[in-house]
Parts: sequence; structure tokens; C-alpha cells
Amino acid sequence: MGSRSLLNCLKDRNYYYVWIGVFFLLLISIVLSIYYSALQIDYTWRWYRIPQYFAYQEQVEIKSEIDGEVESISKKGKEAVVRIKGLEGTESYAVPASALTVEEGDQIYYEDTPLSSYKKWRVGILMQGLWLTLKVSIIAIVFGILIGLFTGIARISSNPALKWSAITYIEMIRGSPLLVQIFIWYFVLGTLVNNLLANQGITQIPPLWFGVAALACFTGAYVAEMVRAGIQSIHRGQTEAARSLGMTYVKSMQHIILPQALRRILPPLAGQFISLIKDSSLLGIIAIRELTKATREVVTTSLQPFELWFVCALLYLVLTFSLSMLLQHLERRQLVV
Amino acid sequence: MIVAKNISKTFKSHSTEVKALVNVTAKVDKGEVVVVLGPSGSGKSTLIRCLNYLNVADEGSIVIDGIDILDPKTDINKVRAEVGMVFQSFNLFPHKTVLENVTLAPMVVRKNSKEEARKKGMALLEKVGILDKADVYPDQLSGGQQQRVAIARALAMEPKVMLFDEPTSALDPEMVGEVLDVMKNLAREGMTMVVVSHEMGFAREVADRVIFMDEGAVVEVGTPEHFFTNPTHERTKLFLSQIL
Repeated sequence: MGSRSLLNCLKDRNYYYVWIGVFFLLLISIVLSIYYSALQIDYTWRWYRIPQYFAYQEQVEIKSEIDGEVESISKKGKEAVVRIKGLEGTESYAVPASALTVEEGDQIYYEDTPLSSYKKWRVGILMQGLWLTLKVSIIAIVFGILIGLFTGIARISSNPALKWSAITYIEMIRGSPLLVQIFIWYFVLGTLVNNLLANQGITQIPPLWFGVAALACFTGAYVAEMVRAGIQSIHRGQTEAARSLGMTYVKSMQHIILPQALRRILPPLAGQFISLIKDSSLLGIIAIRELTKATREVVTTSLQPFELWFVCALLYLVLTFSLSMLLQHLERRQLVV
Repeated sequence: MIVAKNISKTFKSHSTEVKALVNVTAKVDKGEVVVVLGPSGSGKSTLIRCLNYLNVADEGSIVIDGIDILDPKTDINKVRAEVGMVFQSFNLFPHKTVLENVTLAPMVVRKNSKEEARKKGMALLEKVGILDKADVYPDQLSGGQQQRVAIARALAMEPKVMLFDEPTSALDPEMVGEVLDVMKNLAREGMTMVVVSHEMGFAREVADRVIFMDEGAVVEVGTPEHFFTNPTHERTKLFLSQIL
């Protein structure tokens, strides 16, 4: 009996490892088949070209604006001041001391001889796109939560004006494609608002904010339904206990109902916010250079679509996975509480 | 302290109408302990919930400490702050510690300082014998402990009246005693109390008056002595014969 169960256990364990092996085999075969297919169309993989789109070194040269001779070089800490004496007078240039390329007495030609030449790190276009995606997503999430909270509470209000407004908003937003909504925000509302502002002589609102508004309103509608479900899932006795202690509706919501409801809806909220990060890729169509649009631009110039789109997907994964981890952490912390 | 006159309450749903209260008149004087008895569905819970405006009476008048609570101009939150309520299912706030449960309302409603509320809260927890659990969450407490916290939470508002809606019905039998002891102490201190209960022993020992209800109406009112030994109505006799 004992030896047999041990054998079974071993068998089970072996099966487990076999299937792990199958998993990795699958993964490797997918990668290989992509690589093989790419070879068939003579695609050259140039991964080494990718890092420059994250950060690159720019050559900076400082040149004189007059002809003349280096009269003096005075060093002050990390900076050196180069004085050039020309026919028309003298001029001074402050340059980094470590990157000096001239000495006292050198002849300098206008816009030609560099006084100093050094390299400087610059943020690449993919990084800029990633940053914009992050920024847009965070702002849209914050406003989405606020809109969702307010609308969710209005949705269960007994006041028909509030309730029906909330229902109309939620149904309209959930019933039309986000892409169409972005177009409406930018081409319709954007034109109207900016026209009104122009008439008043006020500066225009850039497309970024119409994009953020579209995303925030879109998310708000979904968050509202979650908030409503969360509030309704809290037992009626909680409201009764809070109200019986003399708390107003607002106070009982604030201290008793919402804290409990928000805890319950954290997992679906996380899913919604992850969706939002991915949906922000649609904003490229209204000239916002977020990650997807940035990638598209690099692809057109570099002609390395395979590497770049993989990298783009990976960057989205980094964002969504970090958010997912953060919210899971919050959830777990509340379980202890 | 409490005067309820001719109150009626009907619960309506799509197809049915349930007359929960029919023309009920009741009075509770200051310092009095009134126990409301009756079979299930007799309307005793509805009566006590109407006193706190958790159910709204359709007709009649309810005056608590001189304030007509059915008057639309009355700020019901002010009245509720003076009327403590203890529920059958405790209804503690699960996301707050025991102490926070007790200190929240004094801070939010009475605007007490945190230190003040804490001091009072600790004193109340000591009074209900649960001081050592001040920093744990309600789900780690037994039913009897939870109900004692709920009593402390209501007392923290320093109410003029305490309403108990079947406070021991959801408890395991061995925990009933600890909750009743707290209530007895409260009665001894002169708190005005309205208790809906099935605890005949408590009614006999502590009540100044017993109200017996059936089918939404008050059948008989009297001292416990009168009620338990010499009831007048047939319905009361039947009820007592069934439970004693």
C-alpha cells in the first residue's frame, strides 16, 4: 500500500514536470516559428538599433560667433569661461571644463572651430511615448474614479433628475465605441470649445486634454456601475446602524458604506484601469504621441517593425503588470486589516 | 419620554399588503424599562423601528423628548443622536476596530475630539466588559461580545433612550446571559429602555411595564406581575401557555 501510493505520488510529480516541459516547449516553438517565418521574407533582426529609441547620446558642440583668438581661459569649478578676442571686440563663452577643445592662443573661425565638444544623454521617442501614456492614464484614472463615485451614488439616488442623468450617461458611454467617443470629444466638442475660447480671446485647449476627457468619461461610466453594485452589496444593516447613531446620509456614506464598498470592488476596478491603459493607445488618432503613436513613427523611419512592435507590447505589459501588482498589494493589505 | 399615538404602518409590495401596525398607542416614561412581547410577526420590531424613524409610520404621531419625529421639519439626525439603537444582527462596522466602532459617531456627529472620544470609548468598553478587545476587528469576536460592543457604541452617544430590537435572538444560548447582564446594569442605572425580546426572565425581572402585541395591535399592557400571573386577555393567556 505504502509503496504504491509513493509510486503514484512520483508519477503525479513526474506528470507535473512533463507538463511544465510542454509549456516551455510551446513557448520556444512559437518564438522559433516567428523567427523562421521572418527568415523566409529576408527580415533582418536588428535589436541593437532599439536602445537608441529609449535614450541616446547627442553630440553637443559649442562654437564661436566671431573670428579671433582665444585670449584667456578661466576655470571656475566645472565650468570654464573662454574669452575670444576678435577684430570687432571680445566675447565670452561658458563651456564644461572637461570638454574643452581649445587652448589659449588658438585661432578661432566663426561657426567652425568648436570650443567644446561633448555628448549629452537625451530621452528617446519611445520613452517619451511611454511617459505620455503613463501620464494620460493616471490623470484619466483619477478623474474616472471621481466621475464614477459621483455617478454611482447618483445612480441609486431617489431623485429622478440625478438618477436618470446617471443612467443616460452610463448607457450612452457604454453603448458606443471608445474610438467614436474620442472622435466626438476631439472633432466635435473640441472644435466647439476651442471656437468659444477663441472668441473670448482665451488660449486653446490642446488635444491631450480632450483625449484625457474621453478616457476619463469612458472609464467613469464603468466605474459608476461597479460603485453602484459595491454599495448595494453592503448589508442594509450597516446604513441603519450608521443612521441610528445620528449620522447624515453623507456621513454614513463617507465613513461606513463607501470604505467597505470600495474594498469589495477593488478587483474589477483593477481590470478596468488595466483596460484604460491599453485603450489610451487609441489616442494616437487625435495626434497625441503616446506609446503606440510613438512606435508607429519610429517604425516608419527605422523600418524595424518586428522589434519595435514587440517592444511596444512589452512596455504596455510593464505598465499594466505594475498596476496589477500595486492593486493586488492594496487588496492583500486590506485582508489583514 | 416617548409618546406614540395611533400609529399605523402598512408594508406594500407589488401584490401584497401587510398591516404591520394598526392604531398602536404606547407611552414610555423617563427612567422606565418597557419590554415589548408578542409572537413573530406581531409588529413589535416595526414598532421599535418606527420610534427611530428607520420605518416611517403612515399615520399617527410619535413624540420623543418633546419632538414630533413625524413632523417633516424635524431634523431626524438630531433625534436619532439622542436615541440609541441595538439591532438583532449587531451591525457593527466590520472595517473598524472595536474602539473605532465606539468612537466614530461621537467624533463625527458630536464633534468630540479624538482623545475625548477615546477616553469615553475605553470607559464604555470597560463597562461592557470587553476592554481587552479594543483593538481587534469585530469578526474576531463572539456574538455576545459583538452585541456588547454594539451596546457600547450606542451608549457612546450618551442617549436619553435606548431601543433594543431582539438583542439576544441571534446569539448562541450560552452568550445570552452576558448581554442581558449588561442590559440589567443599564436598567439599574436608570436608563430609559424599550426592549423587544423573547426573554421572559428578563421581562419579569427588569421590566417596569410589559406591552403585549399581536397582529399589529397592542393587546395588553401591564406590570410584569400582572402580565405573567394574571393576564386578562385570552390571547395573552394562550401566548403564555405556549412559551412558559
